[in-house]
Amino acid sequence: MKIGMTGIELRPVCDGVNFRSIQDSRFKTERMSIHFLLPLKKDSVSANAILPFLLTRASRKYPDYTKLNEHLEELYGAVLGADVQKLGDIQVLSISASGIADRYSLKKEPVAAELSRLLCSMVFDPPFQDGLFPEDGFAQERRQLIETLRSEFNDKRSYALRRCEEIMCAAEPYGIGRCGTEEDIRALERKDLTKAWSEMIHRARVEIMVLGDCDPNPVFENFSAVFRSLGRGPAVGCETKVVRSAARTSETAEKMNVAQSKLVLGFRTGIAEPDAAVPAVKLMSAVFGGTPNSKLFLNVREKLSLCYYCSSVYYPIKGILMVQSGVETKNINRAREEILHQLEEVRNGNFTDDELKAAKLSLCNSYRTLGDSLDGLEAWYLSKTFFSPGQLPEEEAARVGAVTREEVRKAAGDVTLDTVYCLEGSEASAE
Amino acid sequence: MSTMKEIKSERAGERYYEVHHPSGLKILIYPKEKSSSSYAIFGTKYGSIDNCFRLKGEAESHCVPNGIAHYLEHKLFESEDGDAFARYAKTGASANAYTSFDMTCYLFSCTANVYESLEILLDFVQSPYFTEQTVQKEQGIIGQEIRMYDDDPQWRVLFNLLGALYHTHPVKIDIAGTTESIAKITPELLYRCYRTFYNLNNMVLCIAGNVEPERVLSLCDKMLKPSGPFGVERIFEPEPEAVVRRRVEQKLAVAVPLFELGFKESVKGGRATTGQLAETEILLEAISSPASPLYRRLLDAGLINEASFGHEYFEGPGFASVIFSGESKDPDAVAEEIRNEIARVRREGLDSRAFERAKKSVYGRNIAALNNVESIANSLVALTFAGRELFDYIDAAACADLDAVAARFETQMDPETSALSVILPQG
Repeated sequence: MKIGMTGIELRPVCDGVNFRSIQDSRFKTERMSIHFLLPLKKDSVSANAILPFLLTRASRKYPDYTKLNEHLEELYGAVLGADVQKLGDIQVLSISASGIADRYSLKKEPVAAELSRLLCSMVFDPPFQDGLFPEDGFAQERRQLIETLRSEFNDKRSYALRRCEEIMCAAEPYGIGRCGTEEDIRALERKDLTKAWSEMIHRARVEIMVLGDCDPNPVFENFSAVFRSLGRGPAVGCETKVVRSAARTSETAEKMNVAQSKLVLGFRTGIAEPDAAVPAVKLMSAVFGGTPNSKLFLNVREKLSLCYYCSSVYYPIKGILMVQSGVETKNINRAREEILHQLEEVRNGNFTDDELKAAKLSLCNSYRTLGDSLDGLEAWYLSKTFFSPGQLPEEEAARVGAVTREEVRKAAGDVTLDTVYCLEGSEASAE
Repeated sequence: MSTMKEIKSERAGERYYEVHHPSGLKILIYPKEKSSSSYAIFGTKYGSIDNCFRLKGEAESHCVPNGIAHYLEHKLFESEDGDAFARYAKTGASANAYTSFDMTCYLFSCTANVYESLEILLDFVQSPYFTEQTVQKEQGIIGQEIRMYDDDPQWRVLFNLLGALYHTHPVKIDIAGTTESIAKITPELLYRCYRTFYNLNNMVLCIAGNVEPERVLSLCDKMLKPSGPFGVERIFEPEPEAVVRRRVEQKLAVAVPLFELGFKESVKGGRATTGQLAETEILLEAISSPASPLYRRLLDAGLINEASFGHEYFEGPGFASVIFSGESKDPDAVAEEIRNEIARVRREGLDSRAFERAKKSVYGRNIAALNNVESIANSLVALTFAGRELFDYIDAAACADLDAVAARFETQMDPETSALSVILPQG
């Protein structure tokens, strides 16, 4: 594929700090982001999690929340983003700035240069008072983080998936929630955050990305100057523990007053980045439950009419595969049997060449689509940080395209069922 | 060969083509040569609200079961020789469909084999095939889709609000219907709705991405089966201007309460123009964006959070409401603050600096949306069905005038016709 995909440029900033950029004028916007990668640990997870939100709320230059947001509106609705996610056993703290390309501003005001300065100052120049984040901003962000955590419970589909992951990986860092627990957040004090911030800028592995229609050089210069002045030591190690197979299967059922029950099955695949067999597991998951042409969709949904959704997803960094479905309480066992039966079918090689080809086409399509959005590109390259930071999505498409039927069969054969989680609706509301 | 009309935006540096095809179909082609992907939608102006209608020249009207437009969307994927997903599997396209209040859309996104995928799309949407057996099979699947939404607090808070705002308008009915209503759906009813609304004169095809307009059109020439004139009268009972009730609440398994505060509008003057739509968006932004005094007060009082608070102009055929929504420990206090702020701005006038900022913000967001072929195609189809145009909308936002924006208050956000919907935790 020649069209569309543009190569990414990689530049080291200093030890543990890397800079990646794609300058491409087919986008009407630019997106610059800085990601701090730290090991997931119970005693630091909550203090870390609040940092991106606290930092994007105010800086020394913009200590007032309203004034800062007025400034962003003046920049044509530019957005300062904050996010916390897990990448395997790593906690990723992200802060981003995105806005329209300079050529679209109505009075030719520069947007990108100001966003670059703003992003840098938000991260490195907080409005400290006596070395602490201001009390009002801290109290606001602590409350909001608790509410974010609580509202994750409102969506039962993702709640059930997360519960299964937590139970399955309870003995691994991955079992820790991305923001920690409500109790941990509630117990935070301002001094914890100054320490967490200092640790983050001095010790975290750092990935900076500038994507879209802007000149990446000023952003590189801004961040380089700050990082050079920090005098950083070596970055902390970022490793993910991969459990190759399940010793036994654990079962958990929780009751809740809901209309639809959720069934989640957590598997160990034995394969994780950077293993050569990763593309085979990706393809196996697509054949098994990754598309509307997959075994799970065609059988559990279309043939047996048991559910509206039944799908699988593979996390290559962690080496786990999750299957989720929403069913009537009385059908939980039937759905589970059928899911395991379909896995057996893939294991036994009972899939056609057309099914294999369709799964390849579907995966390749999704990799090639990534290049059309800045969010998609950012997520892709971030996930590639550790083993192949410059790998184009279409190179991954080529790797998946080269997988053989036998490799798919073998990948399915190595999968072991670790955890079954059921969120059971009460019988009263089931019919 | 059909003639292509070029529609251009100097401001955005973009253009697309509009074609009135002899078959009756309106076709919009938005080439993006550097895009890896293409995104196509084939849509009909037929949604969940169109459940009572009369054919031109006939005295008898038809009222069909609730949820039938959505059921039809599911069933259209099947044909005599297999289903459309199996055909798309050979091209690698990622396909889907959705039914809203006033339209049903079939779509795919792809990075290769775009014309083969387009042929599948044009073919299956024009080839209905419903039998007792296939219709029966879908009951279980859609039944589970309905159950999933029963547990979805975002969905429930909206429909509870619509029930509080609307007396008769079918917008208050769940798009998928109920397990009872869908049990009444038969192949004959599906065929009747299909023949009525899947008329090319009532439909739009839009494709954005890496495509050549001439090849799209020659494929359309080959695939489109000309439709007869479209003559359907949609029947809506008169809707009073007042709301049904001021407040509605439901308890669900949630950890944080949710709310939606809706302001119902009179729709006597017909649907809002493109300009009025942009003006409304700017007004809402000026009143309630993160830079507004209202937002700051609510945040400082711990009444809203940044992750959930927002606004929307919810409008379609025969309905229009401004809706504020979010999570809050005290939804009634939020509603009161919002109503008070609207009264204050109405009394004191719209701050000109807030207006200028909101205008820039709305304009910038709409420019940014042109990055994405999916967002472009979805907007073009929705705007076309409403008689609006995308680049006009962006120009209207860039050139909006303070007085015109403030004048939206004359017909919008009347506290007398507002209602609050709340979802509370159980127990």
